[in-house]
Amino acid sequence: MKKANKLITVLIFIFLYIPMAVLIIGSFNEGKSLSSFEGFTLRQYAELFRDKDLLALLGNSLLISILATAIATAFGTFAAVGIYNLKPKMRKAVMSLTNIPMTNPDIVTGISLSLLFVFIGTGMLGNKQSLNFWTLLIAHITFSLPYVLLNVMPKLQQMNPALKDAAMDLGCTPLHSFFKVTIHEIMPGIVSGAIMAFTMSLDDFVISYFVTGSDFVTLPVKIYSFTKKPIHPKVYAMFTLLFALIFVLMVTMNLLQLRSDKKKTQSRTKPESRAMRTFKRVGAIACVVILLAGTVFLFAVTRQNKITLNVMNWGQNIADGSDGTLDIIEAFEDKYPHIQVNYSEYASNEELYSKLSNGGLVVDVIIPSDYMIARMINENMLLPLDFDNIPNYKNVLETYKNQAYDPENKYSVPYTWGTVGIIYNSKYVSEEDVTGWDLLWNEKYAKKILMFDNSRDAFGIAAYKLGIDVNTTDKAELQKCADALAKQQPLVQQYVMDQVYEKMIEGNAWIAPYYAGDAMMMMDENPDLRFYLPENQNFNLFIDAMCIPTCSQEKEAAELFIDFMCNPEVSGANMDYICYGSPIDGATEYMEEYLAESEIIYPPVETLERGSSYAFLPEEITRYVENLFMKVRLPAEPSPPSEDSPDILPTVVITLCAAAVFGTFLYAKAKRKKKS
Amino acid sequence: MMKKNNSLLLSIPYILWMLIFTLIPLGVVAYYALTDPDTGAFTLQNIQDLGMFLPTLGISTGYALISAFICLLLGYPVAYYIAHRSPVMQKILYMLVMLPMCMSFLLRTLAWVGLLESNGIINSLLSALHLKPVTMIGTPAAVILGMVYNYLPYMILPLYAVIVKIDHRLIEAAEDLGCSSSQVFSRVILPLSMPGILSGITMVFVPAVSTFYISQKLGGTETLLIGDVIERLFKSAGNPNLGASLSLVLMLLVFICTGVMNRFGSDEEGGVVV
Repeated sequence: MKKANKLITVLIFIFLYIPMAVLIIGSFNEGKSLSSFEGFTLRQYAELFRDKDLLALLGNSLLISILATAIATAFGTFAAVGIYNLKPKMRKAVMSLTNIPMTNPDIVTGISLSLLFVFIGTGMLGNKQSLNFWTLLIAHITFSLPYVLLNVMPKLQQMNPALKDAAMDLGCTPLHSFFKVTIHEIMPGIVSGAIMAFTMSLDDFVISYFVTGSDFVTLPVKIYSFTKKPIHPKVYAMFTLLFALIFVLMVTMNLLQLRSDKKKTQSRTKPESRAMRTFKRVGAIACVVILLAGTVFLFAVTRQNKITLNVMNWGQNIADGSDGTLDIIEAFEDKYPHIQVNYSEYASNEELYSKLSNGGLVVDVIIPSDYMIARMINENMLLPLDFDNIPNYKNVLETYKNQAYDPENKYSVPYTWGTVGIIYNSKYVSEEDVTGWDLLWNEKYAKKILMFDNSRDAFGIAAYKLGIDVNTTDKAELQKCADALAKQQPLVQQYVMDQVYEKMIEGNAWIAPYYAGDAMMMMDENPDLRFYLPENQNFNLFIDAMCIPTCSQEKEAAELFIDFMCNPEVSGANMDYICYGSPIDGATEYMEEYLAESEIIYPPVETLERGSSYAFLPEEITRYVENLFMKVRLPAEPSPPSEDSPDILPTVVITLCAAAVFGTFLYAKAKRKKKS
Repeated sequence: MMKKNNSLLLSIPYILWMLIFTLIPLGVVAYYALTDPDTGAFTLQNIQDLGMFLPTLGISTGYALISAFICLLLGYPVAYYIAHRSPVMQKILYMLVMLPMCMSFLLRTLAWVGLLESNGIINSLLSALHLKPVTMIGTPAAVILGMVYNYLPYMILPLYAVIVKIDHRLIEAAEDLGCSSSQVFSRVILPLSMPGILSGITMVFVPAVSTFYISQKLGGTETLLIGDVIERLFKSAGNPNLGASLSLVLMLLVFICTGVMNRFGSDEEGGVVV
């Protein structure tokens, strides 16, 4: 029995630490993938320290956690003393209030807080940026408070009340007696509460993910957006360093505690040594200094005199300086030193739309696609541009002006254009199967097929396959598309957006529909990959264009940015990296020759004739499609849910009953044993 | 009199804070759940639409229960083992269980993707040994593995806290009275560790039933969980109102489950103290 326990324990520890070992090894890997080790290097660490953004994010996380912990600890301790002295009934009520954030799933807490902040901040107070640093701090304090309270309360209950009375008898005021007596008695509770609050706050992802605005992002939230794309190994390097840091901290803390425990048992009656007292004082002062430094830093951040320009773009959709390309953001900031760009990403038009319509954030430049621009114009979500500030607009080719989505060219300036086709791995997919959109429905490649995780592209492909007009508003036709997608669902490995990169590059999936430029980028990494536009079938031809949403606070700077992107040299350099077609006259001259001549980026005219673009759909149809797609995404079912739910209901009930029975059984057994 | 005033003075800010930032937000969620996304008018449509998520709710609950149960089976021996080491060893092992909880769970889950992918580390090892590759990623098993991996420490720590407090004399007494070691376990140790078991199950079940990251990374098309759906509705499907009503359902589910647990738990705790 004991041996078995030991064996299990050892195995469990291996299980707990293997993934971390994988990450740590990954940080020394020459290659980018976690799965194959290509040689030892320390390069990732050098890259990490060169990356100011990543370190700034770590700073953000630390700042929020330290402030939230400090406030929650002080606030929670005083509250605990107060609550402890309340009438029992009242105390019970307050404690169950405390339990709500503890038991509520994080996702519900996050959603409820973000809805509250937007509801009050934007809805009632009219603040556009109602999700900001302060609301994030409030959220962190709120979920940290219960940890402090639940750690301090038991210590108060254990404390001998006579101690406090004695202090009062000796002439202490209640406040005095708290600082002279009570606080020393409950110190261990305060410390462990603070430590728990700090770790929870530092590693919190779910709540921050819903509450974060655009101006202040913490590390875990950013890591989440990293994990949607091929992740840069320098993130693993940071993980390794943090691991080492926390490991050392934990060991020292344990050692210190062990030593003080030993001392206590040795000399119970002796007062604490002078050295120890100085040590404690120095520690306290150090904590205060760190806090003050944090606050000063905070003011430095908020009172920066640079203009912050919030640019929101698709993932992998701007040249970032890697592989010898131009770093566009840096070049822009060099040209306009008074502007600082805050760059963030979205994975689909629908995600962008949700972000903006949920409200609470400030964004100055967005780059949606045609149909989404039309939708946003229709809902008054875009500001008309002042073309006096965009002189380079003259460089935009006539072909890309006067488009149906923005007939008067009032709201948008084209950024790129491209096509949607199929990317496949020629190592696994035989050429005779490569015909049209049907490849995505080929059962031979079940579970190796990826599909778009956004309703418009998914329904578009189904419509092209079936020969239905992609802009249909006929519900019966849309239902046909949904049926085709439902038929495809069991063959699909995953519904993806930016995740398509690592799946295809690593060869974990073989077939995926995606945008041509991104396909080119993947083909750069894996030479087995091929891209094609279905012959004899239609495909999507899209334009992404830069717009300024109504929540913008820096319209002029935003127009400067748009103007900058219309410079042929900048646009050409950008296309070198993102591999799309440039709508700017003369940009091809600045592109690498093989890209400017690529048929994937610039397909021949007769091919382009088969391209069609997505048009604006009425709001009701958009929602209808979104609902249909949600049903497609839900696990496969043989019949419509309305008839199906009676069949499923029993499973739910049975599961719940089983859980209840299991619990009751344990409980009854325990009770019986206790009695006997 | 003075004292009472003081204690109210100290606790009122806290009570206000918690009311404003926990109860009122839930009211806002309910408000969203009962309004139409386009017009903002009162509607019951979002509640009616919940029907299609029933299977998903069932799957999520099932996965979370299974992972809680596996966590219990795996966590109990570990907690028991740790609780019976020397104090120094206990500290070290406790720290080793805590440590993964402090590291980014996003990256640790991503490491599992690298391990389980069809061209991942485990399959590379298998093919090096001339064995057939196994499809692991995208299966329900992978999602449950991810849940067990992430939430196992939440099971071990409360179990350990309870087991370590069990009075050794009780066990000796049981042995003296002729109990076999399996009887000692089932009649003394297990009932006494019941509060730890219940709080461990709650602490695993709640995050597991609401997760969306684990199923996004390790799951496939059949493992869409309720958390995924809520995240989708808020973040990309542009229907926060339906998302709000679904999160109310999730909250209810969790409160019912923990309520059942707590009823047993608090009862038991009293027993243990006595």
